[in-house]
Amino acid sequence: MHVGLEHYLVVSALLFSLGLLGVLARRNVLVMYMSLELMLNAANLALVAFSRFNNNLNGQVMVFFIITVAAAEVSVGLALIVALYRKRQTAHVEDLTAMKL
Amino acid sequence: MLLTTLIFLPLLTALLLVLIPANFRFVLRALSLLATFVTMVLAVVLFAKFQPGVADYQFTAQASWLPALGISYHVGVDGLNVALVLMAAIVGFAATCVSWEIKTGEKLFYILLLLIIGGIIGAFASLDLFFFYFFNELALVPVFIMIGVWGRGPDKNYATFQITLYLSLGAFLALFGLIALYVQSGANSLDLVVLKQHLAQKPLEAGSQKLIFPMLLFGFGVLVGLVPFHTWAPLGYGSAPTATAMMHAGVLKKAGLYAIIRVALPFMPQGVAEWMPILAWLCLGNILYCGWLAMRQKDLNLLIGYSSLAHMGFVFLGIASVSLIGITGAVVIMVAHGLLAALSFALSGWLYNQTGTLEMAKLGGLMRKMPFVGMALVICFMAGCGLPGFGNFVGEALVMFGAWKSLPWFVVAAAWGGLVIGGIYMLRAIRSVVHGPQPDAWSGVSDAGNIWRKLPFAVLIAALIIFGCFPKLLTERIKPNVAEIVEAAAAKAPAKVAVTK
Amino acid sequence: MSLLPWLILFLPLAGAVGITLFTQRDRDLSAKISIAAVWLSFFFSGLLCLFTSGTFKDAGLSAEWLTVGDLVVDFGFIIDPLSSLMLFIVTGVGGLIHIYSYGYMHEDRAVSRFFASLSLFTFAMLGVVLANNLLMMFIFWELVGVSSYLLIGFWYEKESAADAAKKAFITNRLGDFGFILGIILVWATLGGLNFSVLKETLAKNPGAMGGLATAAGLLLFCGAMGKSAQFPLHVWLPDAMEGPTPVSALIHAATMVAAGVYMLCRVFFLLDVPGSHAQLGYMVMAVGLAAPGAAMFHLATHAFFKALLFLGAGSVIHALHHEQDIWKMGGLKSKLPTTYRTFLIGTLALCGVPPLSGFYSKDGILAAASPSGSHPNPFLFILVVGVAALTAFYMARLFLVAFLGKAKDHCVDHAHESPGVMIWPLRILGTLSVIAGFMGLEQMLGRFFGDEHAHSLGYIAQLFAPFGHAPLAAFFGLFATVLGFSVAYALYANASTDPLPAKLGFLARAMRDRFYFDEIYTGLIRLTHEAISYVASWIDRWLVAGLVVRGTHGTTELFGRALRLVQTGNLQTYAFLLVLGVALLLFIILK
Repeated sequence: MHVGLEHYLVVSALLFSLGLLGVLARRNVLVMYMSLELMLNAANLALVAFSRFNNNLNGQVMVFFIITVAAAEVSVGLALIVALYRKRQTAHVEDLTAMKL
Repeated sequence: MLLTTLIFLPLLTALLLVLIPANFRFVLRALSLLATFVTMVLAVVLFAKFQPGVADYQFTAQASWLPALGISYHVGVDGLNVALVLMAAIVGFAATCVSWEIKTGEKLFYILLLLIIGGIIGAFASLDLFFFYFFNELALVPVFIMIGVWGRGPDKNYATFQITLYLSLGAFLALFGLIALYVQSGANSLDLVVLKQHLAQKPLEAGSQKLIFPMLLFGFGVLVGLVPFHTWAPLGYGSAPTATAMMHAGVLKKAGLYAIIRVALPFMPQGVAEWMPILAWLCLGNILYCGWLAMRQKDLNLLIGYSSLAHMGFVFLGIASVSLIGITGAVVIMVAHGLLAALSFALSGWLYNQTGTLEMAKLGGLMRKMPFVGMALVICFMAGCGLPGFGNFVGEALVMFGAWKSLPWFVVAAAWGGLVIGGIYMLRAIRSVVHGPQPDAWSGVSDAGNIWRKLPFAVLIAALIIFGCFPKLLTERIKPNVAEIVEAAAAKAPAKVAVTK
Repeated sequence: MSLLPWLILFLPLAGAVGITLFTQRDRDLSAKISIAAVWLSFFFSGLLCLFTSGTFKDAGLSAEWLTVGDLVVDFGFIIDPLSSLMLFIVTGVGGLIHIYSYGYMHEDRAVSRFFASLSLFTFAMLGVVLANNLLMMFIFWELVGVSSYLLIGFWYEKESAADAAKKAFITNRLGDFGFILGIILVWATLGGLNFSVLKETLAKNPGAMGGLATAAGLLLFCGAMGKSAQFPLHVWLPDAMEGPTPVSALIHAATMVAAGVYMLCRVFFLLDVPGSHAQLGYMVMAVGLAAPGAAMFHLATHAFFKALLFLGAGSVIHALHHEQDIWKMGGLKSKLPTTYRTFLIGTLALCGVPPLSGFYSKDGILAAASPSGSHPNPFLFILVVGVAALTAFYMARLFLVAFLGKAKDHCVDHAHESPGVMIWPLRILGTLSVIAGFMGLEQMLGRFFGDEHAHSLGYIAQLFAPFGHAPLAAFFGLFATVLGFSVAYALYANASTDPLPAKLGFLARAMRDRFYFDEIYTGLIRLTHEAISYVASWIDRWLVAGLVVRGTHGTTELFGRALRLVQTGNLQTYAFLLVLGVALLLFIILK
């Protein structure tokens, strides 16, 4: 079977929807965060696929940037979540409705 | 280079302070004092080396910043702003001196104060209106924070709130006007030099002049406290920490006036013709209405706040006269009032620190316990009601002489407001604060004892007296540029002439 | 040579500044600096007069102070007989008062401050005298106001003194309001401020002022009214007694009050237009009668004997340890012999008894108004005679009650003559009061104001001159004096309480309350400024700050509160709404 662009895009869309579902439905901040990463990677997949099928390297370069930035972002984000957890003893999003600590 | 140093010395010192631990209080204060002192000395050098009557801007420096939009960092001084830069530097130093009263969060306070000082000098020196606006905002924002954090009195929060909203709104309106000017002029630049050349060839259409002019006039007018947009001023000053009130009332307010004179007048003669009569009436609002309001105040800071609005009325009267003498006088008042307002708030700050109140009915007889501050207060209030020998008198007299030909009855009212109403409330304040028997409650207050405490007052008084006794120092520098502006402002726009032909 | 006026003017200022900055602690040194400064000024004034014989013009006398457009303000001096005379009065009489104060204020805590203010006052007065243009005159005029404020309020801890100082300053300000407008008006119509320029312009074109002449005259006169305490701006003067007695002498006699008259004489040429005299005449009589020479002459003699009287009174007060009620004095003749003698001279001079100076100077004014004079005006003539009688009456009363008769209170028992430093100024002023009448001042001033009749007479001829050229005026003046004296003698020769209030009833009460002027003014201020400021403050508080500002604030806040309900703070609700929005957008775009 020939694997075309559509297949990649479908996988990417599925991944994105799964991630979105995770962000909307799960209550744990950490899980939400992982779902968010999933969405990001879904976008990455789409970029790489487009890049491959259009014979244009721009998309792949972009993905490198995204991965780098995402790594930095994850570290900051996780640190924030850990700090928040230590302070509030909870990682449930319903308990975190105020801007104040 | 000198100008750039003047602007960035305080700003870089602010950066440096960020790196110093907050508990090194002496170092923080010493560094701020040193930076502002050097700034003041450099400003004096700049003022002395400035050559009056030279057509071009002097001490210019330019660096490209956003060429696509025609924005560049371009600084320079002419007669109009050289004295303002000097005044800002002097007040900046004095404000840093009196900040010993701040006991908490000194690090942030000094950083913000240095930002204000560098910012406002930058605003005065900028020849690119984008940078003028940028520096002005850089100086304004710390004011809100300082009133909110170190402010005093029960109305502190409401005052912060009001001053922030008012000034943001005014600045927003002015920004709107500036952008409109940028778009309508078609010069693709906000550089004063470029704009001037461009508009000399191809003036703005009469219609857009009439629309943009009030935006600038009222936008910047709000920043100055033009009646009826004045309620923020006394309230804000009443709640602000001393140094902030000094910087804002003394220096930051003048940026609005400066922009009106620098931008609105010469570029939009049609707007001038349309709106100046209205400004003349509003300035009476400042002189008389705020004067009467000052008469009724029971709090010394509120009184100073309202009297400072009344002084702004004289500047507006000078502007409204669109005459060489009047506008020269207006600029002289801007300089002198900057020093005077700073002095008033420095003194009231001292009184507040010693007594914990500024309610005039509770004060009294303080002259005996604090002869130096008491005498400075008498001097300051005498200067405030226009006593000769101080810069204010020169400015007010020039404004009255200048406005006589076009607005004689306004001059009569202004003279009444300045000489009589001003005399009444200033003398009442002296009478109830430093004269009379001394209540027992104040037996423990102390005078500005050592030389460091006296220094800020002495510097400000000395500057006021020097400009008052040798007004040529100012007027010789100011008048060539004002003459140019008046000529441009009074000119009938060629576009209109072409239409009538 | 042209350095001299600069020295004369700035020496007292240097004294004031030096005392304030450096010698606050050393009271004795401060006093000496101030005294030295004023006498050096006096000395230089003498030199100036000697070398220039009164009139002097030189480029070095003037420097440009301020030039903007067609407003040119010089800082320059005018040296002519008028200003030379005033230089002598200010530095001479002022100098004597300085010396006197050294004795009088000796025990005060703040002598340094007193002498600094005194020097500042001298500086300001000299500035008014020497100014060669209107604006410079105004500048020093204001400085006179502020230094008198400092002097009157010297004992600022006394409520009454602080109030008196404030009142004096504000009343003066009312006058200055007119003065500065007058100056602007003159500048706008004649295009200059220098007296010489104005004179030339008017000489070329006498009608240059046009219909504004009267307005300008009245406005300038306003200023003089404030300083000279002319009706209706006289209210500050009685209160000004709250200052130390030498200050009263300085303000009343030597200088400040004289400043108003001097100013009118200086700008006389501006007012010298038909029509404006009538209004002014009733106010400053001699100037109004177009006899500024007589006015200046009277000013000079008045300075001598009025200063003498005040200082004499001060000497009495000093001797009696600050007892000021004359009904507790009496019999001071033997206790204070020198004060008694000099006070007698002052009284006689003030009342116009020949051959003392007051007689001659007052005669000059009377002569101008008399039927045979230059400006016959019977109403004014009678008025002056009446005032002369009244003056004689109250001075005689004071003298009889305080110095003659028996001691009415035991505080007199301990009285002893004041020290020499206070007595000598009295002696000198006494001598001057005697001889000033026939020294020839009148002729000098007459010549200056262009009176061709003025000519020098021998001293003996001078003595009897008034009876020669205006006998009616001289005899009426004498008659008034004699009348005043005799009435006073009849009433007070042996009185121990004041018999007059009982006889005059309501009038006496009105007089005690100074005809209710203070009440009227307080009421007026209440009605006008206080009321307006009350209304303004109401508007500001409720309409501007209340309705508009708080209203805007309130509506915005209400709107914000409503919107706040949407902000639950739940992250997932936000995310859901976000996705919903994106879906909606996608649907709209892709549809």
